Amino acid sequence: MTARALRLVLTQRTALLVVLLLAVVVTLTTLSQRNYLSAPYDASYLAATLINAVPLAMLALAELLVITSGRGGIDLSVGAIVSLTGMVFGFAYGQWGWPLAPAIVLALVLGAACGALNGFLVAHLGFPALIATLATYYAFRSLALVVNDQKPINSPPVQALYSTATSVRVPLVGAALPEVPLGIVTFLLPTALVVWVVLARTTAGRRLYAIGTNDVAARWSGIDVRRTRWSAYVAAGAISGLVAVVTVAQFASARPDAGTSGNGMALPAITIAILGGVAITGGVGRVAGVVLATLLVVWLNAGILLAVPGNEGSQFQLFALGVVLVVAALLNALTQRRYGGTR
Amino acid sequence: MSAPVLQRPAPVRAGRVLPFPVTGQEVVLLVVVAVLWVALAAATPAFATEGSIVPLLVAMTPIALIGIGMTVVIVTGGIDVSVGSIVMVCAVVVAKALVGSGIGLPAAVGLGMVVGAALGLVNGALIAFGRVQAIIITFGTLNLFRFAGLQVFGSATVEGIPATLAPFGRGDEGRTLGVPHSFVVLLVVAALAWAYLRHTPGGRHFFAIGGDQDAARLAGIRVRSRIVLGYVLTGLLAGVAACFVIAQGTSSLAASVGSGLELSVIAAVVIGGTSITGGRGSVLGTLLGALLVQTVRTGVTQLGWPSQLSDLFVGVFIIVAVGADLLRQRRRPGRRRGTT
Repeated sequence: MTARALRLVLTQRTALLVVLLLAVVVTLTTLSQRNYLSAPYDASYLAATLINAVPLAMLALAELLVITSGRGGIDLSVGAIVSLTGMVFGFAYGQWGWPLAPAIVLALVLGAACGALNGFLVAHLGFPALIATLATYYAFRSLALVVNDQKPINSPPVQALYSTATSVRVPLVGAALPEVPLGIVTFLLPTALVVWVVLARTTAGRRLYAIGTNDVAARWSGIDVRRTRWSAYVAAGAISGLVAVVTVAQFASARPDAGTSGNGMALPAITIAILGGVAITGGVGRVAGVVLATLLVVWLNAGILLAVPGNEGSQFQLFALGVVLVVAALLNALTQRRYGGTR
Repeated sequence: MSAPVLQRPAPVRAGRVLPFPVTGQEVVLLVVVAVLWVALAAATPAFATEGSIVPLLVAMTPIALIGIGMTVVIVTGGIDVSVGSIVMVCAVVVAKALVGSGIGLPAAVGLGMVVGAALGLVNGALIAFGRVQAIIITFGTLNLFRFAGLQVFGSATVEGIPATLAPFGRGDEGRTLGVPHSFVVLLVVAALAWAYLRHTPGGRHFFAIGGDQDAARLAGIRVRSRIVLGYVLTGLLAGVAACFVIAQGTSSLAASVGSGLELSVIAAVVIGGTSITGGRGSVLGTLLGALLVQTVRTGVTQLGWPSQLSDLFVGVFIIVAVGADLLRQRRRPGRRRGTT
């Protein structure tokens, strides 16, 4: 019985994540009820912190697509794409007076174009993904900083966008649930749904898993490997373009270093993807794992911020992220040897 | 019908077992750097002066030093993205020791090396014995080391660092006969690493591991301890580089030190022709790669362009350098491995 439970938790990444998530929430809620925390760790706090989950989860889904495509797939440039498309979105919406919908489409298309460059280098020219996206990370980050002379764009229309980042009541369910940030409903859920449908319910998704598992076998079974891999990078770029819009709204300003300041957005996104059970060797990874991993990281971070207030708290978040990643990687390796991999 | 009595084995050709010491990639890099220098000298008269070249050579030393270690790690098929954090931890520990107990220069450098090697050991042990992908583990330790460094910083900058490390700095104290000391250290380390990697069995083992880890193990190479050694070397060199960073900076040290350094180092290494998939790489190429990156940075500043633009050129150079390497490999499929 215990052996089967252990096996379930180790091989089914979603099971492990659910267990960890429950452990984190229960522990922190208990601490909160005994007044060890600086503010209550309750449902409405958890819902409010979901605002941090929107960009993280979306970029982790982008990494899911790219890493699953195999042959060392990884995208270091997502944060830089967020910076660059965020600036262009800021120009279009904030200065050229475009309406919101075309401006969002512009961000989406520009992000996809950046991703297409990555995909062309990796899938068609055979660059190692790490190198190609390192190079484009530099290039996009530099362009984002130079394009407006390092200044952010925060004209009135951009500032007005902030109102869309506030919390709303979930329709239909209404008062039963606490208010969640609007970005969850307008950006994260649709993206997650689309990625899930594509991966789990379409032939395009099966092709992606096929090329990630075995490049050569996929080619011999008639799959256009290059095109499939290329489209994974394009999709990752398009998602990054959407994240740029979310980030601009959240900060009420298009910042030239939105996705690249500090550690940037790419490293946390990759971390969450790995934690969510995406195999760095390709061919394995699910949307559910990535979403659960995001919730785990966001709610753990939110708890740390209450337990250890201020600057110290953000330092402990680094610590927690590092420990979680290393342990997840060691677990993946153990599972690989013991049971032949996660599912 | 004559019996083949005297069939001797063909005499061993008195040629080199190792390929020519300078590869095509390095020649190309040398030409590119030379062209850039000539062009920059023509464009801005200030470039070709001592006041510009010497700081350029000093500024490239931390990246090039860590790049030597990173070359070893990447040759074995690994990668270390935590070097920026290692530099940060070493820098803050050394700076605090300089301020607090006023240690001398040898002790400071020694301290940096010990701390760096210890952090490298953590990376190496996790990667070799946990059998996990190097990139994931070092992403994790990047955060862990940064946390440790911030704890040492204690949410404040380190102020009033004495000029103990000035012999490695930019100033007059940092040079003898116009040659910066830190650059001499770099050349010595590079020469040692070059000879070690190219001419000793231990050095060749790194290439064998990167070429095929299983074959290397079956050939009797102690794969795990070699891999650990690679990361320890990288950490140790990052410790030295941290001392150079302190020496080049002002008397205060902020917590942002070393942030993002790993990407510059990896850029220098891959521009130098080291294959990210392992088994092929060269110290000389890494030096030239670091020189190219620093030349671009200096050149962009001196031309009066926004300094952030230099990263765009670094990105383009990565694509061009790696692309040229890919093309050459495609043309000669037989000779892929084993350059030094």
